[in-house]
Amino acid sequence: MNRSYFRKETVFLLSSGIIFLFIIAGVLQPDLLDAAASAIHSGILDNFSWLYLISAFFFLIFVISIALSKYGTIRLGYDAERPQYTFFGWVAMLFAAGMGIGLLFWGVSEPLVHFLTPPPFLEPLSPESAAFAMRYAFFHWGVHPWAIYTVVSLSIAYFSFRRGMPALISSCFYPVLGDRIYGMPGKVVDILAVFATVFGTATSLGFGALQIHSGLTHLYGISSAISVTIGIIVVATAFFMASAILGIEKGVQVLSKINILLAIVLLIFILLLGSTPYILNVFSSALGGYINNVIDLSLQAYPFAGYEWSRDWTVFYWAWWISWSPFVGLFIARISRGRTIREFVMTVLTVPTLFTFIWFSIFGGSALYLELNTGVDLASVAGEDVSLALFVFFEHYPFAGVLSLLAILLLSIFFVTSADSATVVLGSLTAGGNLAVPMYKKAIWGFSLSAVAIILLMTGGLDALQKMAITAAFPFMIVMIILCYTLWIGVSQEEERVSE
Amino acid sequence: MFEKTLIPVAYGERPDELRKIGRILKSLGSESICLFHVSDTDSFFGGSDLSWLMLLKEALEEIGLNVRIWTGSDHIASAIAEAALLEGADEIYLKAKRRWQLRSILLGSVSRDLLRLADTPVFVHKIRPLLPGEGEGTITRDDLIVLYATDFDEASNRPLPYVMQFKGGWCHILHIRGRRADPGSEKRKSSEVKEKLSSLEEELRPYYGRVTSEERIGNAANEVLFVSDQIKADVIILGRRRPAFLSSPMGDTAERIVSGSKASIFLVP
Repeated sequence: MNRSYFRKETVFLLSSGIIFLFIIAGVLQPDLLDAAASAIHSGILDNFSWLYLISAFFFLIFVISIALSKYGTIRLGYDAERPQYTFFGWVAMLFAAGMGIGLLFWGVSEPLVHFLTPPPFLEPLSPESAAFAMRYAFFHWGVHPWAIYTVVSLSIAYFSFRRGMPALISSCFYPVLGDRIYGMPGKVVDILAVFATVFGTATSLGFGALQIHSGLTHLYGISSAISVTIGIIVVATAFFMASAILGIEKGVQVLSKINILLAIVLLIFILLLGSTPYILNVFSSALGGYINNVIDLSLQAYPFAGYEWSRDWTVFYWAWWISWSPFVGLFIARISRGRTIREFVMTVLTVPTLFTFIWFSIFGGSALYLELNTGVDLASVAGEDVSLALFVFFEHYPFAGVLSLLAILLLSIFFVTSADSATVVLGSLTAGGNLAVPMYKKAIWGFSLSAVAIILLMTGGLDALQKMAITAAFPFMIVMIILCYTLWIGVSQEEERVSE
Repeated sequence: MFEKTLIPVAYGERPDELRKIGRILKSLGSESICLFHVSDTDSFFGGSDLSWLMLLKEALEEIGLNVRIWTGSDHIASAIAEAALLEGADEIYLKAKRRWQLRSILLGSVSRDLLRLADTPVFVHKIRPLLPGEGEGTITRDDLIVLYATDFDEASNRPLPYVMQFKGGWCHILHIRGRRADPGSEKRKSSEVKEKLSSLEEELRPYYGRVTSEERIGNAANEVLFVSDQIKADVIILGRRRPAFLSSPMGDTAERIVSGSKASIFLVP
């Protein structure tokens, strides 16, 4: 009985066990944990930062190639199947997947921080560094993240909808592992996906909690002690756990839609009340700079000057996206049944990216406008505390208090909805791909996510969050490279399937 | 089917070695041999004196083979391939070991080019089967172990008549393929392959003392080399597929098998 339970629940028991040990280590020996995490992190960055750059570029080329190849017409489902959602409904859900805590957290601060501390070959606070800042903000949030998500989501969608296999990362390994996907090798793949998801999501939750805290401190002068951030995580955990355990998915969906609407309202408000032509010019020129330099940006590690900068930003982002990819990938796959590979890849690569570009142009462009043309010193605020820049930015608009409250509300809802979805995805990944996840698993994953976020914040704050995302993403990046290979094998067998 | 064999030769080959080769080829059904020499004008040995070729001819005639001599020039591999076509040879014989090495052919690129270019089957003689007088006695036709590698596509079906012609003691059919992308397709494919293999076994049974078959999943070259060593095959028979553009720099399957195998290779274009 025990043995058969262990065999059935290997992924759950091993992954939750290791994460539990991580949490215990964080509570008992935070310094030791920080030292160990730092050593692994710097080992990965010192030796493999180039691999992150090349892999992300390869994923982009791979998904575009597969979409434009003769396999682009393959349907993610049976041939006669039609898409589950209307095109506009689908696109709206892609928006939802693409938007989140990250956009609010980095929308204002990322361009400002690049503007203030560009790589050493650029003059800080110069027009060149402003152009550089916008170009890199576009690059970090552009097609590459979506190519990373696409590799995972396309593989899951193809192998589960067309080949009838469980919605697990290990299913995609059948062409190379065969029946061993049901054994330890397959379970290791799923465990790596769970680790990446836990640390990737915990990083975002940590960002969210930090920024909610900064907003509250800025607005109401609440203490900036770490205990308040932890308190915010605990309260948010109570909300999303209640939602996940009581099964109020519908409520969460409604909340999620309201959130997107609120975010769009915020976006339009800033666009109209800011310097609209300036923002549109920023959008146009940053887009041009991005398109013109995308290959150089993709592979540029600045080995001669600015290597540290590239590691701190580009490599961190690629690792973060990779660690999010099992979670977002499963979500995108679920909503994309019935689409063709070409339609899927092209829409996923372009639509959310375009939205993100608009977001960054409006928030980042407006912040740079204030900095360059009105003498407002936003960059140094962002340089000191990236989570505070958004709220100081709002101060230069009418109804600043309302805007800040709206941002806090948005962040809180994003926190709850992201954590809720991550709990369901983690539960599904550790329940053989089933969506009917036992309640105790949801509870364990919910607590684990929050506990990991708290431990990381306590051991090293923002820095620790970034380090852990990079570390957890590394093995999953290797998994993703193999995923490309197995997906190619899968689609290239399509011609033979007709005769089978 | 193996009546006429073209053997490319170079200066320095010994008549007694060639006689041994002749015996092997005769036992496979060869009746006439075309000795083909590509003269290399830059070579130190290149000259108008071709009396050494006459000695080789006589050595083969002694064992009852009809022998013709041809000479040619230009790109070596192309010249050999073209001569085999013009002469109507059933196969090109290449010896690939030890002393009796074709000086130029074993430089690598020529034999590689020939394997790629020839429109005539190429028999690359490696360590197995042993020549008469080498190791433990000469192999007889009844001892011959043949490994026929196939994936049932057009290129691997072309060698079938040659497999029948080889005859011998044991023919092992090896089917290699990639794994299907899902367990359902995999199961269907596997039973389809088993069915085809058993009908192929029936087809080859009249020609061999024993016929067996096996299905393997993996890299074609690796699996062929592994099984060939396992069964101690004397000859591996396989079809040549036109290498894809990308596979060429890395070496295609046939090329990897030819360079890694101890058994002789019979490659059918």
